[in-house]
Amino acid sequence: MNACVANFAVSCESRCRTGVSTLQREQELNRFLAEVEKRALRIAEISVRDRDEALDLVQDAMIKLARKYADRTSDEWTPLFYRILQNGVRDWHRRQIVRNRVMVWFRRPGNEDNDYDAVAAAPDPKGRTPDEQLQSQEAMQSLEVAVGELPARQREAFMLRTFEGLSVAGTATSMGCSEGSVKTHYSRAVHSLRETLGEHWQ
Amino acid sequence: MNERNEMGADKAFAEKAKKLFDESVEDLDGQTRSRLNRGRQAALEELTSAKPVWVHWAPAAGVAAAVVVAVVLWSGNLPVDELTPEASAADFEILLTEDSFEMLEDLEFYSWIDLDEDADETVETEDIVG
Repeated sequence: MNACVANFAVSCESRCRTGVSTLQREQELNRFLAEVEKRALRIAEISVRDRDEALDLVQDAMIKLARKYADRTSDEWTPLFYRILQNGVRDWHRRQIVRNRVMVWFRRPGNEDNDYDAVAAAPDPKGRTPDEQLQSQEAMQSLEVAVGELPARQREAFMLRTFEGLSVAGTATSMGCSEGSVKTHYSRAVHSLRETLGEHWQ
Repeated sequence: MNERNEMGADKAFAEKAKKLFDESVEDLDGQTRSRLNRGRQAALEELTSAKPVWVHWAPAAGVAAAVVVAVVLWSGNLPVDELTPEASAADFEILLTEDSFEMLEDLEFYSWIDLDEDADETVETEDIVG
């Protein structure tokens, strides 16, 4: 009888511990995602040039991270999350190429899909004068266009290193390449951007 | 010296880019933030409603099974019933000859002959025994 009670107590305790650890994990993951989601959205948005598509890509990345890698240490989450997101962005571009090939047969002349307007999509002012805000928006818009025109690997390296602030090792994990490749892609990206944007931007 | 200047310029460029990027992140509108929040909650639900791994593969397994069945049906590899005789060209010849149709028309006659022959055989046997 006593043995039964003891077993029951042990079983309850382990279940409670599992429940607590799941709750802790959920809280940790919530903190991580809340911290990273806005920057991830802007990075995805610069890559695909569409906010709705970027929101879908970020949500997919969050769900995949939670489903597959929630049990990993929180240090591993950042490179893993960006790796999932970058794969999603690459898949999106592949689908776009196929879609464009198909749509070119159905598109009427003069019906170009140029809905994206970074200035119109720009957010409300926050404590800056309208001139400062306009200058920042214009500078960011130029940067976005220039970054969007970089080759895919250079764009990834630049955004992960500069915008997300990942280390070379973290960027290499996210991109699935060597640290040497990251350094090369990043260096080429910076030189190319400086050349494209010119002295005035700086 | 020149290389150091280049590195300094690269660093200054990256810093400015980072500053502009951070500002654009801070300026995200409420609707976008709300959608991000909803996406995050959906992701966190994955933790609480963790399903077994096979559940994620179930649709793919279903499709694969359907494809296998379709291929088997298409290629005609269904197990053959041993009791079903194989149709031969001779069967078709028999069916298509005019005699067969005549035989069908006189079916009663042929069955009567058959019965009559049986009766004759019975009588002959009884005679031998008797």
